[in-house]
Amino acid sequence: MLVASPRLLAIGTANPPEVVRQEDLLARFRVDDPKIRSLFTSSHIRTRHLYLPEAGPDGAPHETQGQLLAKHKWGALQIGPQAVEACLSQVQLTVRDIDHLICITTTGFLAPGLTALLMKEMGFREDCSRADIVGMGCNAGLNGLNLATAWASANPGKNALMVCIEICSAVYVFDNTMRTAIVNSLFGDGAAAVLVRASALDEQGPPLARVLGFSSHLIPQASDAMRFDWDDDAGKLSFFLDRDIPYVVGANAPKPVGRLLAQHGLKKRHIAHWIVHSGGRKVVDAIKYNLGLSDYDVRHTHSVLRDFGNLSSGSFLFSYKRLMAEGKVRRGDFGIMMTMGPGSTIETALIRWS
Amino acid sequence: MSRTDALETIRYEDDGDIATIRLVRPRINVRQLSEIERVVDVLEDSSKASLVIFRGASEGIDFADFDPKVGLDIHGFNKWEKLLRRIEQLEKVTACFAEGDLTGGGFQLLLTCDVRSARPGVHFRLPEVQMGFLPGMATWRLARYVGFGHARRLILRGDAVGTDEAVRLGLIDEVREDLDHADLRAHYRPETALAAVLARRLLLESGETQFEDALGNLLAAQFRAISQSAFLENLKR
Repeated sequence: MLVASPRLLAIGTANPPEVVRQEDLLARFRVDDPKIRSLFTSSHIRTRHLYLPEAGPDGAPHETQGQLLAKHKWGALQIGPQAVEACLSQVQLTVRDIDHLICITTTGFLAPGLTALLMKEMGFREDCSRADIVGMGCNAGLNGLNLATAWASANPGKNALMVCIEICSAVYVFDNTMRTAIVNSLFGDGAAAVLVRASALDEQGPPLARVLGFSSHLIPQASDAMRFDWDDDAGKLSFFLDRDIPYVVGANAPKPVGRLLAQHGLKKRHIAHWIVHSGGRKVVDAIKYNLGLSDYDVRHTHSVLRDFGNLSSGSFLFSYKRLMAEGKVRRGDFGIMMTMGPGSTIETALIRWS
Repeated sequence: MSRTDALETIRYEDDGDIATIRLVRPRINVRQLSEIERVVDVLEDSSKASLVIFRGASEGIDFADFDPKVGLDIHGFNKWEKLLRRIEQLEKVTACFAEGDLTGGGFQLLLTCDVRSARPGVHFRLPEVQMGFLPGMATWRLARYVGFGHARRLILRGDAVGTDEAVRLGLIDEVREDLDHADLRAHYRPETALAAVLARRLLLESGETQFEDALGNLLAAQFRAISQSAFLENLKR
């Protein structure tokens, strides 16, 4: 008898309709500082999808924290349902078929949480169980997938849906400092939904990824390296990114990957596909040089960064979608998913297509 | 049975410092390819050696090993290229010493190594195009060593290169009667192996990377180099 193992059955993504180039943003908000301009134009990001405010009379955007929280909520309820629809329609399911819903966000705080709002908005069954992961950052998609696959394994045949919804345009401070410019040049808005179900393997249809295991790695020495601060002057939350953290994350990347491989008796050369969070060019370079990955290995990580910026928790699912669309994945191939974020932390998952 | 038992086409020694692979079959066949693969597995997975030496002579593919009615399998060529790429990317310094002529695949192997040298009188040759097929990814590697013009001549005409010309073109570093491990170790020390491996990767990528991207790669590699305990210990001295 085949053991039911959790598989990723379908994935859907969505972004806000407005696409802006980095240069457009500089013009729109009249950014003149050459250091900040070069940060925007040399970041290996070409376009991002954002819910942008109009510029005020001084050229700068002026949204209060209250307006930002409201934007997070309506933005999430626009692109979240679109990602869910895109995911479920591929397998001819509706939200009525979902038994467990996990929502992930770091870009706004809500009570009731996104799961409750999404269920109301989309008409999920009232007995759908749910969990919200809030504030874990860019890595959270794999923390959520860990829970989704555990739930799916404990409830074979039932449908778990994980939705990462990040409205990064709802978290910014605009004050012409490098600290805020780094954040403002990097993050984009996007949502990704993935359907997980544990079911016996069938050989029909395209290869589907089974989730074999996870390995986490916390770097407590770098707990301050990525964090939210309250900015009293701006009256807003302000995200901080340490400039050395990309390299520290890269230096630590071999640890969880080594553990994950060892747990399954594998070597790095057995991994055919790498699905790495598009955190930024530096961290991807650092991971390449510490894990011995090629530009080809991280091609989707680069292209997602180029087209969308850092989409926080959902980024790696955008890369995963591009990998699947490429059609190169074969049954029996192994893959490693890797996300990095505040903690500082690295989360990894081993998957195998069957 | 260990993965390096019962080797027939190569000999493998590893003293935990230097690993040596001797090609003892004059021509490359499927068995030799898979035996080198097995040794490269060991080098990647468990060997403590920081320097790997390939030595011997090779006349290239052994066509006697293939059934002419069936022909050669393209996937065999792919396996060979993947093996050479793994050798080129080993996290150890790699050396190749030509004890005799290196033709075809043997010459291709030499091109993947960090340190290359040969006995006097040795010739290097890529005869594949003259035989009607292709010298593998030597088409990619050779021009990086010798420039487009020389690479075109050596690959299309299949000219043999003697040791003098090979040194002049940078295909080999030097001509010597035998390898001297102490001499090799003077230039390629265990504590600098990681820096050598990182520098090699940056060099290999230099032809295809924009300066800004290369700078990003350099900084990622440099951070790894300066974070090594061996480097930090050295600073304290």
